Amino acid sequence: MTKSDDLAQIIIGCKNKDSKCFSQIVDMYASRCYGYFYRLTGNNDLSDELLSELFVKLVEKIGSYKGGSFEGWLFKIASNIFYDYLRAKQRREKLLDVQKKQIESQITEPKQSDNEQIDKLQIQLRKLDTDTRELIMLRFYSQLSFKEIAVIRSEPIGTTLAKLHRGLKKLRELMK
Amino acid sequence: MNDGNQENLKELFEKFLDAEQAESCAEDVQKAEQILREHPAPEPDDMLIANIKAEIAMRLPAGRTYVFKQIAYKVVGIAAAVIILTAIGLRLFEKGNGEPGPVVYASIISTAIWESDDIAAVDANLAIFTVEIEQIENELLALRLGEDDGNGDRSVTELEMELIQINSDFWKG
Repeated sequence: MTKSDDLAQIIIGCKNKDSKCFSQIVDMYASRCYGYFYRLTGNNDLSDELLSELFVKLVEKIGSYKGGSFEGWLFKIASNIFYDYLRAKQRREKLLDVQKKQIESQITEPKQSDNEQIDKLQIQLRKLDTDTRELIMLRFYSQLSFKEIAVIRSEPIGTTLAKLHRGLKKLRELMK
Repeated sequence: MNDGNQENLKELFEKFLDAEQAESCAEDVQKAEQILREHPAPEPDDMLIANIKAEIAMRLPAGRTYVFKQIAYKVVGIAAAVIILTAIGLRLFEKGNGEPGPVVYASIISTAIWESDDIAAVDANLAIFTVEIEQIENELLALRLGEDDGNGDRSVTELEMELIQINSDFWKG
């Protein structure tokens, strides 16, 4: 049985509300999804929260998965969760009448726990805008093709390629 | 990370750029992604994974109960419909095999005649009425044919009155 057949069987199990199959999905994707959230937020606690929310959504929405790339479907939910979080944060900040730029910096400003170390990459990632950072992380952690990423983002593949190239080139320069 | 994606980046960029630019862009992407690989993100805590699995397990029975409830409602609905239809069917069946209801001839023939238990008396009355009607009809015919007994219009009127009287008696039973 191939890897994709195994995944298909697990997904069928999930649709039948088999908790073991959901556990398998968690084991398979938790690491990548956590990396995606962590690189976007730079915060462990927040990444914990978003990862939990992702898998809760997975349980709720598994019935709506109609085939195709499971990674694409899962990371689309992850992306929506991240942007929902951003919007909620912005709404809260608007109520407090704070500038939008300040919000962005607060979101990416990691609130470290005592034993948390921020790597150089995370520091440089903060210098990229949210959209570019999300695109780079989506590409890296979802392992999706550019075509699939373009579909998720509802934009032409040329736009996705250009944005990603620009973002990665800038990141490379920042990391020198 | 990102090993699963075996896209030919150069070929992809060549769709939008010339060969030299495409090669340069593909190289930029590969080198930048190498940096990401060299700086792995932290792994999720084991406790977090356990909590997520526990939360999923907690949510699943609720889902099952919901599905069970939906099925139960459907079954109860169908059962109720079957019971109602069966009851209606049995009632109709019982009516079909039971005593015949009263025949609705009242508008044509006097109810008293149909409801009478004395068949002989009713038959005698019917015979008398029939004879009287035939007699009056013959008299009317004779008058119309000119076989008048001298009373003229009066005779006809009397006969008609008599006919009405008989008719009235007949319907009264």
